[in-house]
Amino acid sequence: MNQAGLHLDAVTSGYKASVVLRDLSLAIAPGEAVTLLGKNGMGKSTLLKTVMGYLPKKGGTIRLGGEDITRLAPHRIARLGIAYAAQEHALFTDLSIRDNLRLGLVKESVFGERFAEIEPVFPVFKSRLKQYAGTLSGGEQKMLLLARALMMRPAVILLDEITEGLQPSVIDRLAKALLWEREQRGTTMLIIEQNVPFALKVADRFLVLKQGEIVDEGDAKVGDAPERVFSHLRV
Amino acid sequence: MVLLLDLLTTAAMLFVVTAGLMMIFGVMKIVNFAHGALLTLGGYASYVTTQLKLDPWLSWPLALIAGVMVGMVVEWLIVKPLYKRPLDAILATWGLGIVIGQLIVMGFGREVQFVDSPLSGTWSIAGVDYSAYRLLLVPVAVALCLLLTGLLNGTRFGIRTRAVIMNEALASGLGIHSGWVRFVTFSLGAGLGTLAGTMITPLSSVDPNMGMPWLVSAFMLVMVSGHSMPSLMLTCVVFGACQVLVSTYASPVLGGLTIAVLAAVTLRIRPKGFAHG
Amino acid sequence: MAEARTDRLPVAGQQTAPIRSGRGLLALGIVGLLLIAVGPWVFDTYLLNILIKSFFFAIAAITVDVLWGYTGYLTFGQSAFFGIGAYAAGLVFTHSGFSVSTVLLALGAAVLVTAAVAGLVGWLSFYRGASPFFATVISLVLPIVLTQLLLSGGAWTGSSSGLTGYESFDLSLEAWYWIAGAALVAAGLLAWMVVRSDAGRILAAIRDNESRCSYLGINASLVKIALLVATAVIAGLAGFGYGSFSGVVAPELTGFVLGTELIIWVALGGRGTLWGPLIGAVLINVATAYLSSSMPFAWQLILGVAFVLVIVLLPQGLVPLLLKPLGLGRQASNVPALAERAVSGKPVVSDKPALTMRGVTKRFGSLKVLQGIDLQANAGELLGLIGPNGAGKTTLMRCMSDGADRTSGEVELCGNDIGLLPPDACVRFGLGRKFQNANIFESLTVAECLRIAGTILEKPSLVRCDGILRLPPYALDVVRTTELDRKLNVVARDLSHGEQQALELAMVLALEPRIVLLDEPTAGLTKTERTRIGMVLSSLAHRYGLCCLLVEHDLDFVEEIATRIVVLHQGTIVMEGSFQEVVNSELVKTIYAGSTHTPKETT
Repeated sequence: MNQAGLHLDAVTSGYKASVVLRDLSLAIAPGEAVTLLGKNGMGKSTLLKTVMGYLPKKGGTIRLGGEDITRLAPHRIARLGIAYAAQEHALFTDLSIRDNLRLGLVKESVFGERFAEIEPVFPVFKSRLKQYAGTLSGGEQKMLLLARALMMRPAVILLDEITEGLQPSVIDRLAKALLWEREQRGTTMLIIEQNVPFALKVADRFLVLKQGEIVDEGDAKVGDAPERVFSHLRV
Repeated sequence: MVLLLDLLTTAAMLFVVTAGLMMIFGVMKIVNFAHGALLTLGGYASYVTTQLKLDPWLSWPLALIAGVMVGMVVEWLIVKPLYKRPLDAILATWGLGIVIGQLIVMGFGREVQFVDSPLSGTWSIAGVDYSAYRLLLVPVAVALCLLLTGLLNGTRFGIRTRAVIMNEALASGLGIHSGWVRFVTFSLGAGLGTLAGTMITPLSSVDPNMGMPWLVSAFMLVMVSGHSMPSLMLTCVVFGACQVLVSTYASPVLGGLTIAVLAAVTLRIRPKGFAHG
Repeated sequence: MAEARTDRLPVAGQQTAPIRSGRGLLALGIVGLLLIAVGPWVFDTYLLNILIKSFFFAIAAITVDVLWGYTGYLTFGQSAFFGIGAYAAGLVFTHSGFSVSTVLLALGAAVLVTAAVAGLVGWLSFYRGASPFFATVISLVLPIVLTQLLLSGGAWTGSSSGLTGYESFDLSLEAWYWIAGAALVAAGLLAWMVVRSDAGRILAAIRDNESRCSYLGINASLVKIALLVATAVIAGLAGFGYGSFSGVVAPELTGFVLGTELIIWVALGGRGTLWGPLIGAVLINVATAYLSSSMPFAWQLILGVAFVLVIVLLPQGLVPLLLKPLGLGRQASNVPALAERAVSGKPVVSDKPALTMRGVTKRFGSLKVLQGIDLQANAGELLGLIGPNGAGKTTLMRCMSDGADRTSGEVELCGNDIGLLPPDACVRFGLGRKFQNANIFESLTVAECLRIAGTILEKPSLVRCDGILRLPPYALDVVRTTELDRKLNVVARDLSHGEQQALELAMVLALEPRIVLLDEPTAGLTKTERTRIGMVLSSLAHRYGLCCLLVEHDLDFVEEIATRIVVLHQGTIVMEGSFQEVVNSELVKTIYAGSTHTPKETT
């Protein structure tokens, strides 16, 4: 198992002149699943984009396992073992399911083997590999996103609101898939979510982000966790 | 019949000339203004082959290699630093075209030269005698289209290139080195340009400015056509036909202008050109 | 004119524009004038000849600089207009002889034909959503088409050899020299005056951020077309001069080779400076004349290589670099005095609501982003538009501000149906839109940004720099509270994020809008900045009676200031009401909690 932890040290970043994350520090142990919750516009997506190298850091460092990835380009970070599922425009809608799945792989040859591995959890794709990703339903597209990430056998998975706009039954399937992955390979996960029950079901620990800073954290499995989280999200 | 053959062969020539530009424009969204100079370079590859009394067919691989090498240097030194300044990239490649042109003049002189054709004589089609070499370009263009489509759709490199075209950020996030894809695409596109130059030379002549008239037509075609090789082929057939018809029935001068004018008006009315809406 | 202001003292630690009084430039100008005055006694006949021609070319180069360096339109086509002017002279004098009436005819032709062609090219190139590539490629097609037409003109146009030996003005070489020199000085001064004027800054604004110009009510396409026509006429007149002087006109004068040479002279000379291209054009022409016989190929090669190097490494050009030691930095613009402008126009309270939307939908293909939106907002209201990501809030704002955006339904601004009209028309109906990222003119100063913002109310002068900057009271409030009034001379790019946001707000308010759309105005602001913005927005609605609509995620902020909340979810309005009503409703809690069943709050 290639587990690795993710460490952010006093990271400051934002878009152009603005600062969204201020001196943010966050440590995820190898194999741990952490969920980052918070209202919109608080900097959650910005955090993932910063980790992935899309946004320049104005301060601080980020480490994957022991390696400093602060200055690396997104494709290098992906190759080092981080799989990122963005919130929008995360699939090639004009390419087939098969193409979408294999684009994340370094070697073509492992496609068959890896697909067979994840097949039990994603049975719906087997007979539809040639279908265009754009014609899938919303739920199927999110499943495809996750399948692609899993097939990359990453050390760390970053998910940005994967349950957005999905029906409860699909959300259940996603949760099952993530739990299966954790059981099989103990992959480290950082999950951004608005759907609190889903997030707390899958994660070990939760963090609440507000105005670019962490304001609360705790064990996701403890009884009062939902209440605490909702108190921050209260409309 | 002759008209039909003119039409087909013109479309073929246009496709061959434009394919390389299309690769670069599609992936990098810049118009390589050095394309004309690359065409000229290819022409002189033919000339060199003729002067060295080598088999004329050899000019094709020679041109391709020369073009790829020049492309690699250009991408690295000029195009990459100007990635964020696309209008300046146009200018820089234009300037480069001038430099290449001057070097050619310094090396070969200004005179118009003629080259040996790999295939001479005529073929008889439906009772009409037509230049064999010109006819040859039609299957060559088709083969090129198929080859490039296969490359882009079938190979690993091709699919990565298409991924970068569709969504560069997403492609990067999946581990695809978009800078590398751009480098390879540009070099390949440049090589195709030079190859095209050597292919069309036997039909006319070689001089330091031969690439220029093709340049503007090629741009307009690239801007109008959609983003795939088959759609480029279609565009070349349609516009090539118009050019031939105008040349034949109105005047050759107006014919030379047809593509540019038609394309400008098409784009003004329908900014996406022939691409799917 | 501008009174001396104590604000001009630099604020500690902040970089202000170098306060060179333009002495270096003045010295250069004097040297140039001297050379023109004494030329005939100093230079030999050959050099005079070259200089006269290069003066005419330099005028064309100046027009290219105004179009490219100042407005951002890369054009290879100015040579076409130069050539039209030259051929007007050549054709008329060849076929109709030389007399007062033919001179007038030729001049008239030069002006009218260039204007007409420029109008056509402008229509082709500058339209909403046009790509700059396309405009550039069209500008390349133009000279090629023209050259071909001339080549196929047979004996009438002289074909490839052109026209020669026609009778022209009977003037001595010296007289021509002074005329050409004077024309160059005149063209240069005219361009200088326009570009430095208040209206001229609009060109830079268009180059920096065309969308923002639309949202300030400026029809950028029209401005560019008008500019192209004006520069085309000037280039045409220069060409007329050339044709009259040299007695020879050939297709090369209209071709793209000359067109690209103009670009090269401007690039090497220093785009966006005016004097750089002027000097560059003259020097390069002179050098080419002398060197092209001794080292023909090497010189062209050197020019080509220099051009490429300059584009890649030294985009600001060579001449500024060489003359830097003489102190020719960027000139400080005069800092205007701030004054209040009484709010003009119809009284704010009127019977029509500020915004009405009926049955508005927006579809992207089969994806429905907005469905059946019915919304009304009145003057004096402050509406908070909230909803989860992807609910369609920004799309809704776009549909309010751009007639072409929505798929169906009606939108009325202050009683006017926006139909399919573009943003600049919506702005004229009373709309002001503030974007989420600070959407300003990065290379202009604060004062210039604010002045351009008021364009539709107070047309900036084409000639002068006004010493007074008038703003409506609420815009003045913003500028004073955020202390931007001490930074009027600072280039917008150098402001902090919060200051840029404040500047954009002030610019939008300078329009005296009746309805203001704000997209996440507090994004990235500090706590103090947030409070300040809150107070400003409150006063806009309550004190000045504007209608404000804001998209916000910071619900504490919205609670403080909003009079009404509208909740958007998956493209429809699910609820409207006061903050308390909305916040306490089960529906909204469910939406924000993210799942479709009500979450169990106790386990």
